[in-house]
Amino acid sequence: MLNILVCVKQVPDVDLVKMDPETGNLVREGVPTLTNPLDLNALEAAVQMKEKYGGELTVITMGPPMAESTLRECLAVGATKAAIVTGRPFGGADTLSTSYSIVKAADMLGKFDLIFCGKESVDGATGQMGSQLAERFDASQITGCLLIEEVNEEEGYIIAQREMETGAETVKATLPCLLTVEKQNYRGRIPNLKGKLASKKAAIETFTENNIDGLDLNKIGEPGSGTIVPRIYPPDLPEPGQIIDEGSTEKSVAKLMDMLAEKGAI
Amino acid sequence: MEKRDYKNMWVYIEHDGKKAEPVGLELCCEIRKVCDITGDKLYAVIIGDLAESEQTLVKNCGVDGIIYVSGTGYEYYNTDAYSNAFTVLSKKYNPSAIFVGATVNGRDFAPRTAVQLDTGCTSDAMQIEYDPKTGDLEFIEPAVGGKIMAVITFPKLRPQIGTHRPGTFKYAPVGAKENIEIIKEQIDFPVENIRCRHLSFAEYEFDPELEIADCDVIIGVGNGLSDEEQLPRYRELAKLLGGKIGCTRPLFDRDILPYKLQIGQSGVIIKPKLYISFGISGAVNHVAGITADTFIAVNNDPEAQIFNYCDYGIVGDMDEVCDRMIAEIKAKQ
Amino acid sequence: MSSYNKVTPQIADQLKAVVGEKRFFEGEAIKPEYSHDEMPIYGKYFPEVVCEAETTEEISEIVKICAANKIPVVPRGAGTGLVGGCVPLNGGVIISTRRMDKILGYDMDNLVVHVQCGVLLQDLAADALDHGLMYPPDPGEKTSTLGGNVSTNAGGMKAVKYGVTRDYVLAMTVVLPSGEIMKLGKTVCKTSSGYSLLHLMIGSEGTLGIITEMTLKLIPKPIVDVSLILPFPDIASCISAVPKIKLANLDPQSIEFMDADIVKSSAAFTGNSVFPQEVNGEPVGASILVTFVGNSEDELDLKMEKLAEVAEETGAFDVLVVDTPTLKKDVWAARSSFLTAIEADTKLLDEMDVVVPVNRIAEFLLFTRELGDKHDIYMRNFGHAGDGNLHIYCCSNDLEEEEFLRRVKIIMDASYAKCVEFEGQVSGEHAIGHAKKYYLKESVGDTAFNLMQEIKKVFDPDMILNPGKVCTYICE
Repeated sequence: MLNILVCVKQVPDVDLVKMDPETGNLVREGVPTLTNPLDLNALEAAVQMKEKYGGELTVITMGPPMAESTLRECLAVGATKAAIVTGRPFGGADTLSTSYSIVKAADMLGKFDLIFCGKESVDGATGQMGSQLAERFDASQITGCLLIEEVNEEEGYIIAQREMETGAETVKATLPCLLTVEKQNYRGRIPNLKGKLASKKAAIETFTENNIDGLDLNKIGEPGSGTIVPRIYPPDLPEPGQIIDEGSTEKSVAKLMDMLAEKGAI
Repeated sequence: MEKRDYKNMWVYIEHDGKKAEPVGLELCCEIRKVCDITGDKLYAVIIGDLAESEQTLVKNCGVDGIIYVSGTGYEYYNTDAYSNAFTVLSKKYNPSAIFVGATVNGRDFAPRTAVQLDTGCTSDAMQIEYDPKTGDLEFIEPAVGGKIMAVITFPKLRPQIGTHRPGTFKYAPVGAKENIEIIKEQIDFPVENIRCRHLSFAEYEFDPELEIADCDVIIGVGNGLSDEEQLPRYRELAKLLGGKIGCTRPLFDRDILPYKLQIGQSGVIIKPKLYISFGISGAVNHVAGITADTFIAVNNDPEAQIFNYCDYGIVGDMDEVCDRMIAEIKAKQ
Repeated sequence: MSSYNKVTPQIADQLKAVVGEKRFFEGEAIKPEYSHDEMPIYGKYFPEVVCEAETTEEISEIVKICAANKIPVVPRGAGTGLVGGCVPLNGGVIISTRRMDKILGYDMDNLVVHVQCGVLLQDLAADALDHGLMYPPDPGEKTSTLGGNVSTNAGGMKAVKYGVTRDYVLAMTVVLPSGEIMKLGKTVCKTSSGYSLLHLMIGSEGTLGIITEMTLKLIPKPIVDVSLILPFPDIASCISAVPKIKLANLDPQSIEFMDADIVKSSAAFTGNSVFPQEVNGEPVGASILVTFVGNSEDELDLKMEKLAEVAEETGAFDVLVVDTPTLKKDVWAARSSFLTAIEADTKLLDEMDVVVPVNRIAEFLLFTRELGDKHDIYMRNFGHAGDGNLHIYCCSNDLEEEEFLRRVKIIMDASYAKCVEFEGQVSGEHAIGHAKKYYLKESVGDTAFNLMQEIKKVFDPDMILNPGKVCTYICE
């Protein structure tokens, strides 16, 4: 019986986030949220392990209360328990403090054999959480996992393939092990109605700054972060290039190709 | 310790014994310039044995010193020994910053080292500036799908750790210094303590179509592509021009093209002689990955940001323009 | 009937004067796609001239020139048709409406929008949503023009709940074959005022007039929606669920069906198997995709629970819930890829767009499959189960084209005859064009077909507008 944890994140649909041209701030109001797509691949890998070896599958997230919908999404496809870390003091966290907060909360839920994460989030896109959580869980890590070949609980190891630049590396790691998952072999599944309806009623454990044992408030949120974002600004736009318009596509392309040929570019 | 007590900057030279990964050399060249401003010394960190000729390449990047790490546990890359080596070294020498190439393995251990050292970590910055008022580096990168540029700093903690994509910075060696300080460190990591071990490696069948970083002509295809069926014409155009096709993130997300063809800050960084983009809006994280001698943009939206980055643009239907280009080239053959 | 005249250099100059040099094309400058639509198997025919019009007045001028010289004139939108409707069988002039792509304005009090005919369906759909409204007709081809949609009375997936394009056209501007500009209809939802020329024009495939502007009805956009996939062991059990869903008063927005083969093709093509191919080890024979819209989550939950009862009763393996943005995107992308997936792995294909009574769907599909097996043509099926509109594709990768056409004709003849026997329709939404007119005649009978021909003559005595389509034959 494996005890499995999956760490997930609710993200804004970044394609729909706009920048306010007046203030230079990001406009997130009204932007729909979704579960970070790569986290669903991690969840799928976890669900497959649960189905194959049996056990509990807990999902955990950190974010505003509305991030519960992401947890329910996970419960609908096979997670058995869910927990959220939420509260103002956790806001403004970078990966250093987020990994701290999540591991502190997860410790309240027990010891995990396997911990799964998406490879990166579409909004932050640092790809650091996996390694940082692994360190804090004192677990081995397999980043960029393509395929899990074997989990041996008795002997306490896992064999899996990692995606490298030029090939696949097979590694053997001790349990507990944290894996970040590539999407190719672990496409998310569609929940069935039974799971969906059950997920709507499932209880979700809520962790705040007040009920996590031994939480050092200096290590959470923005104060606990190693990095901050002191400012953002709109990207500098260079002056537009020369638009070629000869009246028709045909003529414009002909002109362009002539210019390129003259330049020696083609 | 105060943050000003942390001095000097390190660049990790990843290698396989025979060759150094180019990203390490690129980072040395870039950080050389940064150190010239901050007054820090630049050290290259080499773990395990590296061929002499490759060490010369490292020296030519103007490093002030090289830290050689030897010991047990480094035969095959593994997270435990490598993150530990940096943690031990860092605790001993207290560098102000550590730069790691964002290879698969660099991205694997650097964030872990950061937690061990209780410091932050940045990833994929395209630009590194120095703020003399605070003494902090500024890691600048496109964020939220390229809609903004974000400045990231380490206001309190040291070392400042950053991973950077291969190709982000130019390899432009300034020449070797006369006296290069050599530091030799033996850090043994007990092999039995390695928790994740290499078993085997299966090389992918080499597909030259997927190697675009050094390609002279690249046809970039973006989200304007409504379905896969349209792709063959772009492949044909690329072939006619002696080039290859690449894409933007949405096409990878939509499973139309593989990740290895994703051009930009979080994908492959390219430096072609000719780049022709079709149906690409021009988000900063895409264009940040391109340095082209000649940049052509084709988009049906005259307001598309891509036209700000191109040398020449055509406003029109991407497929139609591509077809006309193919016809033009064929007519001239 | 006397023959048509050619576009002489003098006539070409007159046409050029109307649209200007940049929007006038002749000879080599005409792109090859103007010779066909998305079914090149029905033959390629080149126009002599292509004019890209920007206004109703320009179209009127062009048609006047053609009328005066007895030159055939064919309107063309995005060219995404499937029956050769926009193909210039007799050469002549093509009027391309692709530049007439302006959304002219919304009337929020009357919930209508005024558009030019070349606006793409996907552009109006997205723009309406930005206004908090929905344009319900939803044909699969999103890059078709609204002018084309109205000319073919396009249907689509949401027809079960909302009806078809015809139900959303309140008024239009038409250029008649004489070149005269006429307005039909008003911005009101009721009329009992004489023969409806408006409705005669809808679905007339550019044979009676060229529709240049339209006033379309919109509805407030639904607040929440959910789609559900019901996989079944076979087509018969799958289709048996359709009337039960309707009877349960669930008011679905769409009920799409797909057989196992098309799901497999789509999975191979997109590399993403969204629709289940097996459930608990049992192979899925066919699935339906049901969409509900509503005002609240609770309302949808109730509908889903009722649907689960129907699913159990009819032997569905499971009920899968598609309710997150990511899943919706995946599922609808897969659904939209069906035709492309077929085209991608098929060298030769022909299609049927028949409508049969819902209770005869399974029988009809089995009939066509047997025909396919017998003649070694493989069949791919999907369609709108909620209204009996089936898309059946005859495919081959091995046969020579001539032999393929011969065998397909046998299959088509038998299938359309079966369709008539089942009291069905030749075309649900792709229209007749020139590819299906013989089957139309078989289906409606001589009297009705002759009446159609007489109506055509009243509008277009010289037969210059889109000749050879719907009910007229090519005159040499």
